Amino acid sequence: MVRGTALRRLTDSWRSTTARLILIYGVFFALWGGLVIGLIYWQAASYLGRVSNDLIGRQATYFSMLDERTRLHALDDYDTLETRRLNAWGVFDAQGRYLSGTITTLPPKLPINGSVALLPRGVSRNDNSNSSDDHGRVRAAAVRLQDGRILLITRDTSIVDRIGTIIIRALLWGLSLAVVPGLLGGLLLSRGPWRRVNAIREATLPIMQGNLASRLPVGRRGDELDMLAGIVNAMLDEIERLLGEVKGVCDNIAHDLRTPLTRLRARIYRLQQQFDEGSEEHAVLDACMIDTDALLGRFRALLRISELENQQRRVGFDHVDLAEVLREVHALYLPLAEDRGQQLQLELPALPTIHADRHLLLEAFSNLVANALKFTPPGGRVEIRARPAADGPWVDINDSGPGIPPDQRDAVIRRFYRTESSRSTPGSGLGLSIVNAIARLHGYTLEIAGSERGARLSLHCLEERVA
Amino acid sequence: MPRILVIEDDDVTAREIAAELTAHGMEVDRIADGGEGLVRAVDPRYDAITLDLMLPGLDGLSVVTQLRAQGVTTPVLMISALSDVDERVRGLRAGGDDYLTKPFAPDEMLARVEVLLRRHRPQVRQTILSVADLELDLVRHVARRADKELSLLPTEFKLLEFLMRHAGQVLTRTMIFETVWGFHFDPGTNLIDVHIGRLRRKIDTAGLVPLIRTARGSGYSLAQTD
Repeated sequence: MVRGTALRRLTDSWRSTTARLILIYGVFFALWGGLVIGLIYWQAASYLGRVSNDLIGRQATYFSMLDERTRLHALDDYDTLETRRLNAWGVFDAQGRYLSGTITTLPPKLPINGSVALLPRGVSRNDNSNSSDDHGRVRAAAVRLQDGRILLITRDTSIVDRIGTIIIRALLWGLSLAVVPGLLGGLLLSRGPWRRVNAIREATLPIMQGNLASRLPVGRRGDELDMLAGIVNAMLDEIERLLGEVKGVCDNIAHDLRTPLTRLRARIYRLQQQFDEGSEEHAVLDACMIDTDALLGRFRALLRISELENQQRRVGFDHVDLAEVLREVHALYLPLAEDRGQQLQLELPALPTIHADRHLLLEAFSNLVANALKFTPPGGRVEIRARPAADGPWVDINDSGPGIPPDQRDAVIRRFYRTESSRSTPGSGLGLSIVNAIARLHGYTLEIAGSERGARLSLHCLEERVA
Repeated sequence: MPRILVIEDDDVTAREIAAELTAHGMEVDRIADGGEGLVRAVDPRYDAITLDLMLPGLDGLSVVTQLRAQGVTTPVLMISALSDVDERVRGLRAGGDDYLTKPFAPDEMLARVEVLLRRHRPQVRQTILSVADLELDLVRHVARRADKELSLLPTEFKLLEFLMRHAGQVLTRTMIFETVWGFHFDPGTNLIDVHIGRLRRKIDTAGLVPLIRTARGSGYSLAQTD
């Protein structure tokens, strides 16, 4: 069928709405979390920095104001009371040479005015509490004592950075703990609706193939999906009822008119027999009979379609040699093609046997070939070509006729539809409808395409899926 | 004069069948009930039976089944409103000889009854069929017209055999299509004409008396010159 691919299969679960929402949520959550933690970090770091600066500045001023002995005691306390050896001090002469303390060199660019500066590379110390490489950055303040010497005190503030690291690490852990299970959970959650949508998709396949009696599954949850399925089912009920009415009217007309038409034909026939062959009356009545036969043929075709559509049984199904069927059809139509100066070619690769109704297949391919020959001008070419495929063989009927415009390809399968250009050609316009009905009965698809020059009608003999 | 038993409950159809058959020189008895039909059908004086499948009393399929069970071999033309191939297969399996779908053209029905009558006459198992100067060797698969060998395709051979077996009888396009090809759908009138046309060109060559005749607008027959 032409509309066969309208509903795409949901192969990728990331396509589902829930999964997509979860993904978007995850990204937003990560960004927001990062922003919040960054803000906290920035706030904490600047606060701690301010506190340290303040403290060091005060200490430097305090030490500078003490007398020599008290200062040395105080500085020793300053150093030793801080057990983690975060604090250090040094006294240098006016030229910056080391005199005493735990700091051995005076950082060259440090202003000697009590203001606090950040030394990213730390200072070198003579106590072996830490190796100098290990030194984190320190905050330092230097003041000039009254005798001209320089006092330098430092405090290791790398703890602030460490807090930052801890905060960032906490952020990453927190995010991964929240986002990863969140995404996984979302994926799992989305699988429920996804499975249901797939079930609905499966349920629509027979409906699209014309089985209007089947319905979408409705669960007991009464959620959006169930509501939608319910609405669609109600629509299907109405469509089925209307279609049934239309079809019933059509079939009844065809059926009811057939009997009087047959009687009419019988009367013409009997009347005709009373005249000599070759008389004018005989010829007129012959024309009447031909017209009546055409009418009867059309009704027969219409009722045949209806019969095929109503046929649920598959008693005629058996293993069928598709190649043999195509050879028979080819032999049947070859003389007709040759009489009209057309080429009818048969191209058969090795084909598997298929499970089908042989008589119906013969009828379908006969209709397809007759149709192709009808629309191919004299001298043209019709090609019956089979190609094997994994899911069942294809049979293409290519012709070199005018082709079928893409916008009419769906319509030609409809009952009585004939393209504008074919109005002058005799025929019931029901041949392709019969083919389509047979295709549906088999679960095959009929596809109409254009070939390089003309039309291509393909019947895909899909292997039955084991249900 | 052949005697035909018409078992048909619809009065209009029964009258139509009877009128057509009588007009062509046959004697017709009409029965409207299945059970009574079975009783009458056993009579060996009937040369053929037309049997409606939907009957009050005993249905048509049971009638033909019981008839065959009793060893009655009178040919039966089954007439049914069901055109399905499955129905046809069922009818033929039960013992019917031919199957016709309602509504039918009287000439089609007549042609089928005539073929059944011919079939019923005791036939010697022939290996060579001959009509006028046309000869068909069924064993060696050779066809000759006026002692000249004809080259026929397998389908043409089968077609000619069918025409020759029923020489002098009208064979409708549907009957030809069903018997020669074994297909049961509507191929359109043109197709059989084309096949007959081909055969005609091979058999009725210039200078010879044409044997294949177009008959009664609906079919063909092979002339019988005797």
